[in-house]
Amino acid sequence: MKENMKKIAEMTRRSISEVFEKMFYIFLEPSDGENCGYDMEAVIGFEGPVRGEIRMLISRNIVKKMVLNMLNLKEDEVTPHNIEDCSKEAVNMVAGNLFGKLDNSEMFDLSIPTFNTKYSGLSSMENTCIMDFDSDSGTVGVVVTLSDK
Amino acid sequence: MSFNVLIVDDSNSMRAVIKKVISISGFKMDRCVEASNGLEALEALTGNWVDVIISDINMPGMNGFELFERLKNDNLLKDIPVIVITTESSDERMQDAFKLGVKGFIKKPFQPEEIRGILYKVIGVNDEGEYEEDSGDDEAFDF
Repeated sequence: MKENMKKIAEMTRRSISEVFEKMFYIFLEPSDGENCGYDMEAVIGFEGPVRGEIRMLISRNIVKKMVLNMLNLKEDEVTPHNIEDCSKEAVNMVAGNLFGKLDNSEMFDLSIPTFNTKYSGLSSMENTCIMDFDSDSGTVGVVVTLSDK
Repeated sequence: MSFNVLIVDDSNSMRAVIKKVISISGFKMDRCVEASNGLEALEALTGNWVDVIISDINMPGMNGFELFERLKNDNLLKDIPVIVITTESSDERMQDAFKLGVKGFIKKPFQPEEIRGILYKVIGVNDEGEYEEDSGDDEAFDF
């Protein structure tokens, strides 16, 4: 399982970087893990050969930039609705991209993403990998948790 | 010649992005109709003729697969080419989609230039947006 988590962490890093570059024009750099400035989160569940969830932790600054860049809006046009929509779409793309990279021959069912306006915090658990990223626009984190089937 | 497009995605933002990307890609789009799931798409198709459908798979209400099945079984709608635009990319799931008549596949995140080429290809027109002579080959993609 430890080896699997290592592979999942590496593929998740590649997936989130690709999604943020292509869709939001934001370049992410892995950070030292001391980012706690998250304000909200988007969550998606998955079920296939393994089951679990991916939580994307987002700072207010970066989500605003995501919306501005993705939709080509002006600052005063950003709404809570498009913040939620962009966040859910981002975690959906990271999940799809991740499973495509891990094994294209395996089928995973993804849940409909959900969005929380509060960040529910982190607790380090077994079978969980936690990654933090910095960018010019703010911080983003990803938590991948595998559960027992 | 310009074409009517139906975009089916539960995300307003993604529909806006797809619409914008199509517009800037040079694809000749006349009207763009939007729906947030399969059911809304079927309703939209009762009052709008479209030349191509671009649809997500993972949507609440009626998902993409249910929509493709309904289109395949509808004599009036079965020939409208469908392009899947989704995060899901397992070989098995894509083959299931192709079996239901899907003609093309774009994976999110996508580059704008991918969209124009695939739109023209599934509609069967050249880069100038003019219909090509029928080659007798119905399949747009090998898989």
